[in-house]
Amino acid sequence: MSKWYLLSGAENDVAISTKVAIARNVKGYNFTVKLTPDEKYEIADKIDDVLDEKLPGKFVSTPMNEVGRDLQISLAERGIVSPEFISFAEGRTLIMTEDESLSIMVCEEDHLKIQALLPGLELEKAYELSNTLDSVLDEELEFAFDKKLGYLTQCPTNIGTAMRASVTLQLPALAMRGQIGRLSATVAKLGLVLTGAYGEADNPVGSLFQLSNQVTLGISEQAAIENLKSISLSVIEQERALRKELMENLKFQDILWRSYGTLKNARVISFGEFMEAMAVVKIGVAEGEIKVKNENLNELIFTMQPATLNVENGRSLDRQIRDAKRAEAVREAFGE
Amino acid sequence: MLCQNCGSAEATTHIKRIVNGEATEIHLCYNCAEHLGYANMFSGFGFNISNMLQNFFPEFSRALPTVDRSERCPTCGTSFEEVVRTGMMGCADCYGVFYDKLKPSLSRIHGRATHVGKSGVAQITAAESPKLEDTLTKLKDELKEAVDTQNFELAAKLRDEINAIEGGTK
Repeated sequence: MSKWYLLSGAENDVAISTKVAIARNVKGYNFTVKLTPDEKYEIADKIDDVLDEKLPGKFVSTPMNEVGRDLQISLAERGIVSPEFISFAEGRTLIMTEDESLSIMVCEEDHLKIQALLPGLELEKAYELSNTLDSVLDEELEFAFDKKLGYLTQCPTNIGTAMRASVTLQLPALAMRGQIGRLSATVAKLGLVLTGAYGEADNPVGSLFQLSNQVTLGISEQAAIENLKSISLSVIEQERALRKELMENLKFQDILWRSYGTLKNARVISFGEFMEAMAVVKIGVAEGEIKVKNENLNELIFTMQPATLNVENGRSLDRQIRDAKRAEAVREAFGE
Repeated sequence: MLCQNCGSAEATTHIKRIVNGEATEIHLCYNCAEHLGYANMFSGFGFNISNMLQNFFPEFSRALPTVDRSERCPTCGTSFEEVVRTGMMGCADCYGVFYDKLKPSLSRIHGRATHVGKSGVAQITAAESPKLEDTLTKLKDELKEAVDTQNFELAAKLRDEINAIEGGTK
């Protein structure tokens, strides 16, 4: 079965992926911070039992201390688990589908973080997936809930819907034109937050940003999703307009074709260099100047990361060998 | 511990931040920290760890002498002092036990909002029901404002509501 990030999603010239994460805690247990490892595994077992009965064969459950370090980091690189989740493995379990689109981090910050990941801008679908799984589990496990405060979470900032929805957007044109600061100030007023996906917050690797909802109390899941969707679409439109404008610029054209040359010809390339060049080339692809499919470029964001390349090759590669393998895969994607 | 970025130098900078509701811990050596923009964290973009927790519950830094911080949740044994220090609740019942003390922080984080949206199967009532006194005070404030602004139609309506509540409680 293909991993979710190998498929094509809506608005994928700008929107890379969509994630909807729901935090839940099982009634009758203390929150994670007060649990022993045994109690944490007990919760994982209970979840496994429900899934085996209600959705047999769909999920695989793996205690994190049985997962090698490269695979742990690779899961974090692909956004399936948080960096915090792999900072220590004891007591933690990852339950997920074969295509990795639907998963549960057991005993990260809360007992369950139910997470749906899809390519492109697919907020309704991602919410639908995680919401359905939540309902199936809630019926059997009973999650901590209060009429006024909503779902109760270990950290009081997440109470209410306890839902974080986020869209990963690649915004090279807005970044090049120095518009990110203005944009994050604007979306903050609308209850959203814009952060860098990898690396520095205001100048992240490959101009990859995450736009997500901030408010969890007093706004329904549907309203939060709708709000995030409409603002995402507006950001996408702004990025598209600036991309068009950049294509008229000779200096940008030069940068574009040089970046294309790098990706098409490099024999050794780091992840950072790949992402920078790829973000620029994305603009040429969107404007039809360069003939590569957006979904093929987007999947490289996940498959070209260091630990993911190690996992793909079955061993921890030397940095230089890894950079050579990456260059080879990138040339292939560009039809060499 | 080795730097998580380069994997070769000793990590000297330890950063905890919350992105997307996910607490993240990163351990970096000096060079990588500087390179990734974490070195100058106190003026950085959104992850000021130095006073994150004080920011989280500022009311208690100020109200230190008046709030009893030693009270414990009978279910999990977490003290209120622990909640303030870590920013985390020990169990679902903590919300009920510490509700009054938490209220200023909760409304600072979330506004005066109450939950709307999906409901859980297991509903417990940790939070108090709105107190009549609070409702009365609010209505009386609104009445005063209505009179001040000469909005007599609204004032009459509010007066009736107040009378109804006061009549009911007597």
